[in-house]
Amino acid sequence: MSDYIVLVKQVPDVTQITDNAFDPQTGTLIRTRLASVINELDTLALAAANRMNQSGPKPGKIIVLTMGPPMAQDVLRYSLARCADTAVLLTDKALGGADTCATANPLAHAIRKIVKDILGGSNDYYIVTGMQSVDGDTAQVPAQIAEEFNIPCVTYVTDVEYKHSGFEFTRIISGGNQVVTTRSVPAVITIAKYEYPLFATFADTRKANRFKLTQWDADDIKAVNIGINGSRTRVIRVFPPGKTTRKCRQITEPTELAEAIAESFSESQKQTAKTEDKTDTYILPEKRVNLFNRNFEGTKKESEDYKILADIFEKLAITKLSEITEEIKENILSLAGEHFHKNALEDMLEGFKAAAPCYQGEVWVVAELNAGKIHPATFELIGKARSLADSLETKVGVTIAGDNIQKFCQELIVAGADVVYTIEHPVLGEFDPAAYKKAISDTIRQYWPQIVLFAATPTGRVLAPMIAYRLGCGLTADCTELDIKDSSRKGQVGILMQTRPALGGNVMATICTKDSKSQMATARPGVMKRLPPEPARKGKIIKQTPQLSEADLSLNIIRTETGKGRVNFDAEIVVSGGKGMQSRDNYEKLLNKLTAAIAERFKKTCERGASRAAVEQGFIDRIHQVGQTGTSIAPKVYIALGISGAIQHMIGVANSETIVAVNSDPNAPIFKHCDYYIIGTVEKIVPELSEALMKKQ
Amino acid sequence: MAVTNLNKTSVLIVGAGPAGLAAAITLKNKLPHTEICVIDKAAEPGNHNLSGAVLEADCLNTLLAAVDKDWKQSEQAKEILAYKVTKDNLLFLAGKNFPFNISISIKLAKALKLNFAQMSHMGDYIVSISKLTKWLSQAAKNLGVEVIHGFAAEDIIYDEKKNAALGVKLVDQGLDKLGQKQPNYVAGEIINADVIVLAEGCDGLVTEKFIEEAGLVRRANQLYSVGVKEIIKVSDEQFRKFTHGRAVHALGYPLWTPVLGPAMFGGGIMYPAGENHIAVGMIVGLDWKYCDFNPQDALTNFKNHRFVKKFIEGGTIVEAGAKMIPEGGYFALPRNPQTSAIGKANVLLLGDAAGFVNMLKIKGIHNAIKSGIAAGAAIAECTNNPAAIASKYTELLNMSGVIEEMKQAAKFRQTVAKLGPLFGIPLSILGGKLPKFKIKKDYEVLTSKKYKYKPSKNYDKDTFTAMAATEHREEQPSHLTITNTNICAQKCTPRFNSPCITFCPAGVYETVNEQVKPANPSNCLHCKTCQRKCPFDNIRWTAPEGGGGPRYKNM
Repeated sequence: MSDYIVLVKQVPDVTQITDNAFDPQTGTLIRTRLASVINELDTLALAAANRMNQSGPKPGKIIVLTMGPPMAQDVLRYSLARCADTAVLLTDKALGGADTCATANPLAHAIRKIVKDILGGSNDYYIVTGMQSVDGDTAQVPAQIAEEFNIPCVTYVTDVEYKHSGFEFTRIISGGNQVVTTRSVPAVITIAKYEYPLFATFADTRKANRFKLTQWDADDIKAVNIGINGSRTRVIRVFPPGKTTRKCRQITEPTELAEAIAESFSESQKQTAKTEDKTDTYILPEKRVNLFNRNFEGTKKESEDYKILADIFEKLAITKLSEITEEIKENILSLAGEHFHKNALEDMLEGFKAAAPCYQGEVWVVAELNAGKIHPATFELIGKARSLADSLETKVGVTIAGDNIQKFCQELIVAGADVVYTIEHPVLGEFDPAAYKKAISDTIRQYWPQIVLFAATPTGRVLAPMIAYRLGCGLTADCTELDIKDSSRKGQVGILMQTRPALGGNVMATICTKDSKSQMATARPGVMKRLPPEPARKGKIIKQTPQLSEADLSLNIIRTETGKGRVNFDAEIVVSGGKGMQSRDNYEKLLNKLTAAIAERFKKTCERGASRAAVEQGFIDRIHQVGQTGTSIAPKVYIALGISGAIQHMIGVANSETIVAVNSDPNAPIFKHCDYYIIGTVEKIVPELSEALMKKQ
Repeated sequence: MAVTNLNKTSVLIVGAGPAGLAAAITLKNKLPHTEICVIDKAAEPGNHNLSGAVLEADCLNTLLAAVDKDWKQSEQAKEILAYKVTKDNLLFLAGKNFPFNISISIKLAKALKLNFAQMSHMGDYIVSISKLTKWLSQAAKNLGVEVIHGFAAEDIIYDEKKNAALGVKLVDQGLDKLGQKQPNYVAGEIINADVIVLAEGCDGLVTEKFIEEAGLVRRANQLYSVGVKEIIKVSDEQFRKFTHGRAVHALGYPLWTPVLGPAMFGGGIMYPAGENHIAVGMIVGLDWKYCDFNPQDALTNFKNHRFVKKFIEGGTIVEAGAKMIPEGGYFALPRNPQTSAIGKANVLLLGDAAGFVNMLKIKGIHNAIKSGIAAGAAIAECTNNPAAIASKYTELLNMSGVIEEMKQAAKFRQTVAKLGPLFGIPLSILGGKLPKFKIKKDYEVLTSKKYKYKPSKNYDKDTFTAMAATEHREEQPSHLTITNTNICAQKCTPRFNSPCITFCPAGVYETVNEQVKPANPSNCLHCKTCQRKCPFDNIRWTAPEGGGGPRYKNM
């Protein structure tokens, strides 16, 4: 008989953002102004746990646990009204302001107490939770809890079945699905999708509302790392994401549209080149011409203040810090006016003393293998690591773990690596988080690189949090920007500023690492740019000898399926059909024609999508649904055929570089949210467009 | 510990709107040990409540002062009652450019002590009924009422022999599109109760079933109108010009212009909706004749009127929604033919479910709350004799002034329906002296005539729906059904060109493969216009799974 501890979280409802939720001054979304709901993936976790409990040999208990303010009891009552037998609320001001590490730690300690107090010390239990929360989107906490207990972690589970006296989990891996069992219990299971969330009954809702919750505070659980002090990262600033401006250009001829599509590919290259040029390359303070130049601060305000201070120094002809007397300070302050006050000045002057970088060591990338090849994201990360390492005047190291991997070394060096650390062992033949994290952590511990980058793939997103937690390092998930900057006023120089979207992409946050020996981040695939290969590059290969055995494996892999019946929304072009396609036959015929023409012409990956309405009409399977309730995508070119452009659909494609729309309704709202559009029926336009694309070849 | 049957409660109130909550608050305050459950199909308090709304706030004092005499001092009360009407504009729009201020006629009516004077709104409050409901919900919970959201009722179990209702059945959850049980299927529970209060709002599903089963009778057909409303965020300057306490009611264009038509009952509204937000709306009687008419078209015309445009031009729509209003008034109140009770035995009908809207005032919230207070008091007085509650309730309603008020406005709407606004509105001054006209049902009057002021652009229903934040679980059976699809193809489409496609504010209906279908039931705003306006009475609205529908916040 197994028991189930389900972790649930109360999150802001990012599907319902009202206009007054934004700060009128800064345009930043204010979290507290959003309604609170249970994290949707956690509702699926509840359903999955219930299913496991029902399908196992004998039903056990379902205990639901949350950490949050007192109002988080709502999500516990939600769970009690559905399947939970009992509920624990972990609440304490001291636990607030925590990052993932300072969240995982107290949760793990609460789980220990649940096992002792409620499960009578039984070790036959599963920790089940949503893959990630919609506010943080990091997916780190479950993996870090698994790390705290050193137990198996099965992530991205989409189905579970009781078979041969154990649970078989189907989970998403990079490029496919895998069926696994855990080698031991307890284990952490994270749910990415589950078909049938549970409904509450009226009677159980009343029962849940009357239920006396178990409430614990920080002292009850005796956690080690809690709150702001226990966190290994700190948020530097929060700002609104940049606005995309669409061209909204009407085109009348399909031939012209074909050319516009072609152009948008070259254009997107140009644009990215431009944004990279925009920022000056970082130079370490000790190498700067002007000793008082501090224009690489983490926030614009601090850079500006230092600029003003440098100008004042010039005016007052100050060349050394030792010249500054109290009298001169007064003078500086009067010249600075409203820009900064006394305390800030003291901090800034103190900041000049920090000239050497805070962190030492190389910049590392943890390579990922996928189906016998290096994952493209690894090369993108090497490109980024190269520029970071150049700024810091250090080397790029790539660590690669696996079996029979020497053949990849040259490829990594050609892509920009200076040193390749190979961790080779038969146990590493297939990805197992437990064996990999051990091997890679040991290597990191041996060299202590100052930065370690992982790809934010299903593999990277389980491996990185485990390694970071194991090594006591801060980790920022899903970064879209990585820069070296200073935080002189805090005495930090040459640190990694990690920028990522949060709250469902509605705000951006810049985060840096604290109290860590190494700065760790995962970066979204497709965001960083790989360097052109340099076949003549030379590099060093260092072979590690990992201390591993079969006992280090946590999972049994039953089978791995890749490719088949899968949707690749990472494709560079996505062509979607809406209700305007009229029928399934039309959808099939027209999309096949256009995607074939696009593949021919541009030699780029192309995937088919659909609006919710088209899926409802049965034109194509739901996995192809794009939009708020489907998948959010960000292709280079998005082509919407017969889609009116309801807001729910447009949110899901807002990150596309270029949006093209074909619709017969001249008032279709999509025309206001696209770059190019053509008014006409899909039956007429699509064949003409396909032809135009082919002809130009 | 005794095992309590949680599927049983003393008092079950269906619908957590102002009426139902007022009943719960009054009863719980009088008899704190009474077990009271209020259920509502909306996901959260206030999500399915939409109104103008101008509120005569005295009723709030009657309701809340009994609980807390300092209720007005609370922050929330101050926020909800922040907008007192200080400028009452009654306009007549002669065309798309010129407004005539006819507020003077109301003043005149007041001086002459005519019923018509009820149209004055000075001293009332402009409120968001969504927010008001949310607040009342919290007040009820604080007293210990169980307000439970996300459960939709679909039927009432009425035992004719016992002359009592035994309980209410909830909607099944977890059926797929074809009605097959999914693995997470939960059968709709039956909630048994000693007293059942139906406060579902306009055209209530359970209410209408009960009226039929229990043999309640309306002396006149219920008439409806539909309101479509947008909240628009405007600039500081526009809001300052509009002013904080202005209530605008506009008659005439684009619903009615003399002689040449169109001739429809209704009008435009414009109120402040929080700082820098203006609500604009259009209320149209469902007895319109034009087969291509959509109330949102009238709203577009109203928004483009010179008077309105200057206040909202360049603004952004932040919320939108639609809802029906019961307008039949006094004669359309469903009553027990034997006792005249508005309800029967242990079942009471409240608020919009009964139809307590005063059409002269164009207001119903105050009556809804008063009916709730009467219901709460009646239940408290008859704890030992549930069968007498409906009669007691009706007696208290009579004493509360609700019925008297309804009587005064009794013939107004019917007169307009019969004679048209040109003669109807002025004639209605005669009030009670008018004959009682027999009026057709709203759906029976549609013709193949076209609406004269059809805007060149189709209204953007997708954005409207998105701004109503409506959502339903997609994989459930459609809660809207077309009874006989042959009628659509053979009768309706040739004659009227499928008006449901046009008038549904959420674009639920579409022609798919040459067949009119409720193609997007998940867009439904629960306004039920389709059920009452399909020219062949061929559409039925049932409750979807609880928790679905719009999510109004400030409507």
